[in-house]
Amino acid sequence: MHIPDGFISLPVAGVTGLISVAALGIALKKSQDAFGVKRAPILGLTTAFVFAAQMINFPVAGGVSGHLLGGTLAAIILGSPWAGTICIATVLIIQAVLFADGGITALGSNILNMGVIGVWVGWGLTKILQQIFSTSRVRLPIIAGIAGAFSVIVASIACGIELVVSGTAIANLVLPAMTGVHILIGVGEGLITGSVITYLANVRPDLLPGEEHKTRSWLIPVIAVLLIASVLSLFASAFPDGLEKVAEDIGFIKLAENVRVSIPTPLADYGIEGLGQIGTSIAGLLGSGVCFAVAFGIAQLVKPKDA
Amino acid sequence: MLNLSLPLRLQLCLVLVIGTAFLEKGAWIYLVIYGIIALVWSFFQRVPLRRLTGLLGTELIFLLFMALPLGWEKASFLLARSLICLLTMNSFLLTLPPHSFGIALKSLPLPQGLKENLLLTGQYLEILLDEVKRMQRGAQLRGVNGKAVWLRYASAAMIGSLYIRSLERSERVYAAMVARGYRGQLPQDSTLTRKELILIITAIAAATMITATSYFT
Repeated sequence: MHIPDGFISLPVAGVTGLISVAALGIALKKSQDAFGVKRAPILGLTTAFVFAAQMINFPVAGGVSGHLLGGTLAAIILGSPWAGTICIATVLIIQAVLFADGGITALGSNILNMGVIGVWVGWGLTKILQQIFSTSRVRLPIIAGIAGAFSVIVASIACGIELVVSGTAIANLVLPAMTGVHILIGVGEGLITGSVITYLANVRPDLLPGEEHKTRSWLIPVIAVLLIASVLSLFASAFPDGLEKVAEDIGFIKLAENVRVSIPTPLADYGIEGLGQIGTSIAGLLGSGVCFAVAFGIAQLVKPKDA
Repeated sequence: MLNLSLPLRLQLCLVLVIGTAFLEKGAWIYLVIYGIIALVWSFFQRVPLRRLTGLLGTELIFLLFMALPLGWEKASFLLARSLICLLTMNSFLLTLPPHSFGIALKSLPLPQGLKENLLLTGQYLEILLDEVKRMQRGAQLRGVNGKAVWLRYASAAMIGSLYIRSLERSERVYAAMVARGYRGQLPQDSTLTRKELILIITAIAAATMITATSYFT
């Protein structure tokens, strides 16, 4: 998934670069304790480990190969997504500067996709699944495996969106292709992440986060809503709903076209004209955001003053 | 070999690499200019040619798989550009005195945490590779040979075991570093002199000019 030089436009490189620099800056500030005597070797070694693991490509179907992204694995071993971001960003910097694996101009995009989105989706999903099922270390490998697989898919969608916005590829082609290939790579990622964590849980359970860790209560619904609106919406069925199907069969569907006043809607049919599948994701995110803002606004208006 | 300090060499390399990477696609003339500078740079650093060609060859094979599907015209430029970047950075790394990467790294204007992690990653990669060799030797001594031997190295227990072994060793190495005065950065001074600073600023200005011109011609 390493984007080489020349695949993304300068504006996309600039914007993603700024986001990555900001994310890395915050991560470095939030991970002060990761550089102490006790934690620094774990961070350094995990970075070296992910770097080595990314060099080993495993074959997936159709003449394609993939490699471990390691964001979820790193975040879980390090016990912090901030440290996970530093870990993956360091790997990507070394790969780009010393091995020309991933372009220097695309470094910002690669850090954003793998070091920020890949790590945070994996970490967030792990926490959500732990809240739903169990925080026990016994279930952590399965949960981490699922989260790892999903993080690869989301990161690949982000990569596809950057290619589309850069004008390198068309959304209708690149998004399904990237998602399809990375679902297979995600399976590999999930298996490796789950297996390694199983081993660590048996041999060095002290390396893994304790069972008392709890996420903030608002984080779960927010991440779940974002994932459903932006990612799962891409896989929504294109078939008509019950009413539309009946209207088509009986023949009164045309009545909908004969409306007296036509009001233009920017996100008609949960999409944005000309943006294809990305439009669905963006529409989903915008819709969720607007719903939240309206509901939050109403709640602020009607809540008792002493609440 | 050029009598330049390590921080200066690293910063000049980075200026050359970043300038090359940001060239406009298809700007062959400017790529040739950077190519000549990179060649002269490697010549004066007296890089061991055999190791350099070996490294470049391996790295270019990986790049070929990625670039060729783009079509020959696009791929050839990307490959030439990557080759210049790799030539520059490998020339620096192959002429680096042992364990001196940290001194060069210290001079870079990057956050301290990131520099520390880069330094430790470089050191621990050696440990990781060394542990792989030890485990391979151990497995061979126990009679684990044959065609399916790679399966053993790919198994989760082996990967996990490699991680734990390397971690324990790296913790010992880190403790030894701390005992010798390491406090998140190396105790050696790594600042640029006034002359070196002027040289760096001149190099940045020249690289910016070459790269910017590639977009307007």
